[in-house]
Amino acid sequence: MNQTLSYLPLRTETQLVSAAQAGSVDAFTELVHGHRHRLLRFLLTRCESYADAEDALQDTMISAFRYIRSYDPRWRFSTWLYRIAIRNASKLRTPELVEVGDLRDEESDPLLQCIADSETENLWVNARRLLNDEVFAAMWLRYAEDMSVKDISKTLDRSTSWTKVNLLRGRRALDAELNSIANENEAYG
Amino acid sequence: MDKLAQQLRQDAEKIEVTVSDELDHRIAASLRSVTPEAESVAVPKSRRPALFWWASSLTGIAAAVLVIIIVNTQQPVEPATATPASIVAAVPVIDWKTETAMLAGPLQQELDALQADMKKAEKKVRDDIGL
Repeated sequence: MNQTLSYLPLRTETQLVSAAQAGSVDAFTELVHGHRHRLLRFLLTRCESYADAEDALQDTMISAFRYIRSYDPRWRFSTWLYRIAIRNASKLRTPELVEVGDLRDEESDPLLQCIADSETENLWVNARRLLNDEVFAAMWLRYAEDMSVKDISKTLDRSTSWTKVNLLRGRRALDAELNSIANENEAYG
Repeated sequence: MDKLAQQLRQDAEKIEVTVSDELDHRIAASLRSVTPEAESVAVPKSRRPALFWWASSLTGIAAAVLVIIIVNTQQPVEPATATPASIVAAVPVIDWKTETAMLAGPLQQELDALQADMKKAEKKVRDDIGL
């Protein structure tokens, strides 16, 4: 049977959460199955290596299942999951690496490696270079994960104003970069 | 959705990430060894017997009565002497004349004694020379 078919949403998210809260591993696995790839891709933006991102994903799943009973249904499940993921990713970062986080080495950046494997002209490469980690994360959650400003604020543990301002700054930085690239291309024909 | 947002979304989708079977198995195995922790439940307040409230009320009343009795049976305490309002008024006035007299008194006596000695000596000299 096709693997995708085995994970068809037979039950609603609420039902799966209830079953997982009752201790069902299968329900939890079904609940998080659709989030794994996106979560791993997001964790690549927060971790120092692919292996770290995988470890962070595993830790996130374990933490989410362990504390599933404290999940507040007023939150979107994905928001709650991303919040846990961010905490786990930051635990894997050593203080030294956090301090020199801005001096990102493109050759060792797991996200850039993945992008390089697929294609070279990707806006996220510029975003990675131009934006700091927090603004990048906000941009990612907004445009790659389609989260609302409110959910981004909750996930990053920031105010709504901070999120709005930094999304705007991130957009401006990327716009400016794109315009300069376009002008260079025109100049060189 | 604007052009930039659309491009960002498309570019994000292009980033190929795969959750390996090995990672899937690792996660599944880890989840089997975890059980959801019980939600922290607020500890209900322990019910105290009715007698407890009566006992505490009576103790409080008894303590209040005791304090009132002690306060009323104590000897009235002499009020402390009031600190003078004006420090100038409190400082004794110095009688400068008396002070001068007290200081100059011994000198005056000495002078009188010397003058008396002079007169005696003068009289003795006069007697000696037959004046």
